[in-house]
Amino acid sequence: MVSWLLFLLPLSVTAAGGRPKLVGVHPSALSKYTPSKSNSWTCLDGSKQISWDAVNDDYCDCSDGSDEPGTSACSNSRFWCQNNGHIGAYIPSSRVGDGLCEPDCCDGSDELSGVCKDSCKEVGEAYRKKREAELKIQRTGAKIRSTYIAFAHKEKKRLEDLAVSLLKQIAVKEKEVEKLREHAERTESLSQAALEHKKQSPLYQSLLNHKKALQSLKREQKKHADRERQLGDVLDALRRGYNPNYQDMAVLEAVRGWEELAGLPHINDVKKGEGEEGEAVEETRAPKLEEPVDDDLWTADELDNELDDLLQTDYTALLLDHEEHINAPTEDSILFKLTSYLPEDWLPHYEAWKDGFVEWLDTLGVVRSENHAASSESTRAQQILSEATAELNRLKSEQAQAESGVTKIFHPEHFGTRGEWKKLDNTCIELNFGDYDYELCLFNEAKQKPTRGGTNFSLGKFKSWNPDATPGSPEYYKKQVYQNGARCWNGPERSVVVLLSCGTENAVTSVQELEKCEYQYTATSPALCTPPEEDNGNKNRDEL
Amino acid sequence: MWARSFLGIVTLVLVVQDAAAFKAHDFKTCSQSGFCRRGRALAQRAQEAKSSWTSPYSIEPTSVVLEEGAVVKAGVKSSLYPEINFGLEVRIQEDGVVRVRMDEASGLHKRYDEAASWALISNPVTSRSVKWTVGKKDIRAVYGTKKDIEVVISYQPLQVTLYRNGKEQVVVNGQGLLHMEHFRKKPEPPAPKTEGSEEQTVIEPPNPRAWFEGDKEDDLWEETFGTWTDSKPKGPESLSVDINFPNHGFVYGIPQHATRLALPSTKGESPTFTDPYRLYNADVFEYLASSPVSLYGSIPLMHAHSEDSTVAVFHLVGSETWIDVSHDSEKSTQTHWVSESGILDLFILPGPTPDEVFAQYARLTGTPVLPAQFSLGYHQCRWNYVSSEDVRTVNKRFDEEDIPMDVLWLDIEYSPDHKYFIWNEKTFPDPVEMINDVAATGRKMVVIVDPHLKRDSSYPVFEKAKELGVLVKPKGGEGEYEGWCWPGSSSWVDFFNPGAWDWWKSLFKPYQLEGGAWSWTQSTEDVHIWNDMNEPSVFNGPEITMPKDNVHHGGWEHRDIHNINGMLYSNLTWQALAVRSDPPKRPFVLTRSFFAGSQRFGAMWTGDNLGTWEHMAVGVKMVLANSIAGLSFAGSDVGGFFGNPDPEMLVRWYQVGAFAPFFRAHAHIDTKRREPYLLASPHKDIVYSILRLRYAMLPVWYTAFRETTVTGVPILRPQYIVFPKDKNGFDIDDQYYIGSSGLLVKPVTQKDVTETNVYLSDDQIYYDYFSFATYRGTPKGKHITVPAALHQIPLFIRGGSIVSTRERPRRASSRMAYDPFTLRVALSKDDTAKGDLYLDDGETYTHQQGQYVWRQFVAEKNKKGGKGIRISSTDLGKLKPTEAVEGAPGLTTYDPKNVYAKTLEDRNVRVEKFIVLGLKNKPKSVKVEETGEELAWDYIPGAASTDKKGGMAATLIIKDPKVKITSDWSVLIL
Repeated sequence: MVSWLLFLLPLSVTAAGGRPKLVGVHPSALSKYTPSKSNSWTCLDGSKQISWDAVNDDYCDCSDGSDEPGTSACSNSRFWCQNNGHIGAYIPSSRVGDGLCEPDCCDGSDELSGVCKDSCKEVGEAYRKKREAELKIQRTGAKIRSTYIAFAHKEKKRLEDLAVSLLKQIAVKEKEVEKLREHAERTESLSQAALEHKKQSPLYQSLLNHKKALQSLKREQKKHADRERQLGDVLDALRRGYNPNYQDMAVLEAVRGWEELAGLPHINDVKKGEGEEGEAVEETRAPKLEEPVDDDLWTADELDNELDDLLQTDYTALLLDHEEHINAPTEDSILFKLTSYLPEDWLPHYEAWKDGFVEWLDTLGVVRSENHAASSESTRAQQILSEATAELNRLKSEQAQAESGVTKIFHPEHFGTRGEWKKLDNTCIELNFGDYDYELCLFNEAKQKPTRGGTNFSLGKFKSWNPDATPGSPEYYKKQVYQNGARCWNGPERSVVVLLSCGTENAVTSVQELEKCEYQYTATSPALCTPPEEDNGNKNRDEL
Repeated sequence: MWARSFLGIVTLVLVVQDAAAFKAHDFKTCSQSGFCRRGRALAQRAQEAKSSWTSPYSIEPTSVVLEEGAVVKAGVKSSLYPEINFGLEVRIQEDGVVRVRMDEASGLHKRYDEAASWALISNPVTSRSVKWTVGKKDIRAVYGTKKDIEVVISYQPLQVTLYRNGKEQVVVNGQGLLHMEHFRKKPEPPAPKTEGSEEQTVIEPPNPRAWFEGDKEDDLWEETFGTWTDSKPKGPESLSVDINFPNHGFVYGIPQHATRLALPSTKGESPTFTDPYRLYNADVFEYLASSPVSLYGSIPLMHAHSEDSTVAVFHLVGSETWIDVSHDSEKSTQTHWVSESGILDLFILPGPTPDEVFAQYARLTGTPVLPAQFSLGYHQCRWNYVSSEDVRTVNKRFDEEDIPMDVLWLDIEYSPDHKYFIWNEKTFPDPVEMINDVAATGRKMVVIVDPHLKRDSSYPVFEKAKELGVLVKPKGGEGEYEGWCWPGSSSWVDFFNPGAWDWWKSLFKPYQLEGGAWSWTQSTEDVHIWNDMNEPSVFNGPEITMPKDNVHHGGWEHRDIHNINGMLYSNLTWQALAVRSDPPKRPFVLTRSFFAGSQRFGAMWTGDNLGTWEHMAVGVKMVLANSIAGLSFAGSDVGGFFGNPDPEMLVRWYQVGAFAPFFRAHAHIDTKRREPYLLASPHKDIVYSILRLRYAMLPVWYTAFRETTVTGVPILRPQYIVFPKDKNGFDIDDQYYIGSSGLLVKPVTQKDVTETNVYLSDDQIYYDYFSFATYRGTPKGKHITVPAALHQIPLFIRGGSIVSTRERPRRASSRMAYDPFTLRVALSKDDTAKGDLYLDDGETYTHQQGQYVWRQFVAEKNKKGGKGIRISSTDLGKLKPTEAVEGAPGLTTYDPKNVYAKTLEDRNVRVEKFIVLGLKNKPKSVKVEETGEELAWDYIPGAASTDKKGGMAATLIIKDPKVKITSDWSVLIL
């Protein structure tokens, strides 16, 4: 401090003294700083006329600060550092004469002479080197980026072709479906009335009721299971987060109770284990012991896995099967069994006679039977129709996807105006930090994965590019937002902001949790490396 | 920091939406504290007995001895225990303060008598001139320049009374509640009953002491609270004393409580609070905004005030203390103090003005230190800036927005497993580079170092403390006390142990120590320290602190020193920082816990407040209460620690913070980020302008600090201090004056306010600081309504003041050292004004060697020629060299050419602008008297200082008079 002061002493100049009159003025603005004939000058906003001597006299006269471009007198002015040998820059007036050598002002013109040396040569040199290195990365990245763009074009072509070919397939399929529909309608109209009658069967109605009841039970069971799981998570967090030395008996009992219920070791023992052996004791909630089940009842496993199959039963088909089954014993009657006693030659005659006879009986109401063949044919036709319709829908959605894929590739709000991001769709990159791997699957999901195993947490699903920038602008692609990740207990849903910059690799470079459960990734990608030539126009303007 | 996450978690798990998160059951009420219960019961019996009640304590007339100086010693007996001897000593100090000490003589144990050695700056000098007169019924002494003070020590019952002009000022034991529980043997448990003895009835003789002590023993020995049992190995040793102020209707002080400045009553008719005020330093999670519950710090100093006089009592005890306040009438106050242990060491401060009370108290415990300049700037804190990159980014954002900030803070998460001093290598891989990057922008960093040490053999700080044997011991006095805090299992350094001092001081050396002992090489001189959790906070301890039967150096129990503990920690940290550099630089240490004397070791804040309007409002009152108890360097967390303030609240909180001596924004880890640059317009612009205003006013704050370091008169001055005779102002605690600057501010602490009410005590003109609107008070006082929309701060310059500011915004205060000044000359109704300005390097102690500049500016009617106004600058350093700075006893002369002053002169540090308010007429000419140079100026006609009708003040702006701040000059307005 003292030596620095001594160094200053011989200078003994006023803040503005010993400096060029128009220090701090940008060369292009110099023409505005000329005195009138009467040696006066008008503030640039026209608000006031002052003496020419009052320009840069270290006293703020103009409300726009324009009379003090070279001093700190006006808080709203800025100072131009010429920085010969480097790039010129503005600094706010608050930095003028503050005793600090501004990095942006390498010529030291912002301070009294002698305070800061002119380091623009070295700074410029270093800057150019740094810039070259950046350019090198940018060029390399740009090459990779161009392959991404090429990929996008190819992908676009592929998707377009796919869309066209799918369209053709759709046309074919549509015709087929049409035919099948006609056929099914024909067959169905035959059996529809009969089927309606059968559906009045008390058994069928009861079955439907059972189905509804089962579905309701299933819904309730799922609700409770979810609730149990959430409670388990809360209790796990309590168990891990509570302070065992703090003698809150209510908490301790809750933890102990949970551990017993969930078959977990006592957390203190686990922590001790960690301390001594440096590795975590296996920590999983023990599956509840299977309770013994009454002989015929379903096990929990069966409930989990087979209930859905049961509920998906085609009840109409079942009804028909049932009819078939119920009617079977009638066929055991002598009339139907006769065939076994008849000589083979008689058989065709007999069958013809029998059908006629049964029909006759049926008409008389003696035998109530259905035309089995008609109804099962109708079901089959329906089945074939629905399969064909499903296939048609699949083709249509595939086609729509292909078409929307085509639009997205070069859409500014998706894969960029040049499609440079398409290549990275669902590309996963990750960074290890602390006890976690932080994964980022671009355009899909960000995850936090404990390195020592355990539950992965979703940090969020892709939501948008930079919401604060115009789609298509360079700023727009420097940020991605992932939202609605797993909810933090006692906190918000996790979310991620990804700050992207040009780099030769797709990589996560840092992860910070700036606010609770709100993460900031930085990442690099060649997709952001525009060829330096493309930038030049902008850069040059910036540097003026 | 906060009290704290796991408590929060527990709270949230068990009671998901608990509106009032304060955990009342964590802390004792008086009825849950044995000695407080006994003390209150005693008072109750006295009240019921009415006039038949007489104190059992009396002086044995034959034992009275006068010693050299104004010292009287006497034996005291209690009629309850004739076999026990007490010794009384009353001395009158040179400045008239009366010190009353009483202790048990040759008791079974020794009562704690070392509180004074930590709180007082030195042994007070006893008067040589005052003489005691020993009479038959009493001992008397008359003194004072007008012989208006009389102290009377009555024998039977023992009573000490201070009179002024025959009026009782302070009466000790006037209610007869004095009681020093003597040490006794624990009674043997009754012999186990033998068979056949069931029918025997033991007839106990009636207890002759029941009228005073009650008829049964109440928690004399073991005492249980929650799951904790205090073994109380020495049994009962509490101290009860009543102190009456028969002619004073208002009492202030005994911080720290979240309540009004004028202490509401706790007893008598419809008291505001039902429990006494408690002094027991405690880490209270989400404390209530209106409560007598003890908080983080304790200062047992109470002012009593009336239109006639101000007096004070300083009850120097370090143990848990409960204080009941009641009023017999509007004009009198009764207080009752019950402490758990310690001797009686009571200072009666006779006043009779507030300023004299401050001086008397400052002579006992010292004045606030002169802070390093940077620490008066804006502090940006958060739990937590998570990495060195985060720190750099925040620093950069302030620069990008061109807003000033002086200090970036790091809370506990910089350290792995909360092993303070140690950096988390993943998140802070380059701490020294980070600090240097911040320092390169002219700023500092503050890093937290808490007093609990993680019990981890790889932690060099803990290992060394263990090796030195300087850790606090558990009950019984063997081994190391283990408790739970941030790092998990922890131990605490016993700073009462001198063996810890040199070692602690060595830790902060930012370079490798000779011999290789561990020191904080990963830091620099630009790092200052935050001492939190020093109550001490112990998560699994009784009342979130240490068990009272823990053992400290000298065998004292924790109960004896609890309230002093926090101060000792910041004291040692302060010393450590002061000696880490050569020559020493002024440290900055922020402490949460404090005691009488903590003002010598830096700043305090009001702890973990909530982001509510109620907390914002009570924070102002708490800072005022701390200020009058010596701790001027105080503030509340801007924004509120817990919660997410909306933009309006945040703006108002910045307005509050900018007008507190310590100005820091802080936020809990669960909150959203809320740095000023994250706000949107217009809130952002308002906050920026507040920050710039704070920086413009730094010369005001620094000059006010100089004054308090010398006089002890606080920086923030509520009405009763500035206008002690105006009773309308005695209960006003939401507006205050800043030092002697003449600035009056009323921070708005309510939602949706567009105007507010300000009280003017005196018949004087007040100018709105921003608009120059004028308001005129009256001799009887006047309430005025002033605009107070969100962007407006009710800030006024009292007529007769000259306010010096530096109006060039810089990124940090260190960058303003050579900036020019603007002087606002606010003419009084008599066309005069004055103000002073103090400057030094803001960093070292060279000011104590005379390297400073202290100027006085005076505006008065021009005597020569009799016309116009003359504004002049004179050298106060030359005029009053002995009063300029504190801590420089040998400094009797002042050299105006000292190195610092020379630097300012060489750098041409000047006045760049005068703003003269309240002129009668447009001037004809403005010139520098010495050179005759005519100056450029603008004049806007308006109200003169003598006008009573209000309106905008006549304003004269004098452009760049180029008068140097270091020179004598006069500017004539003709």
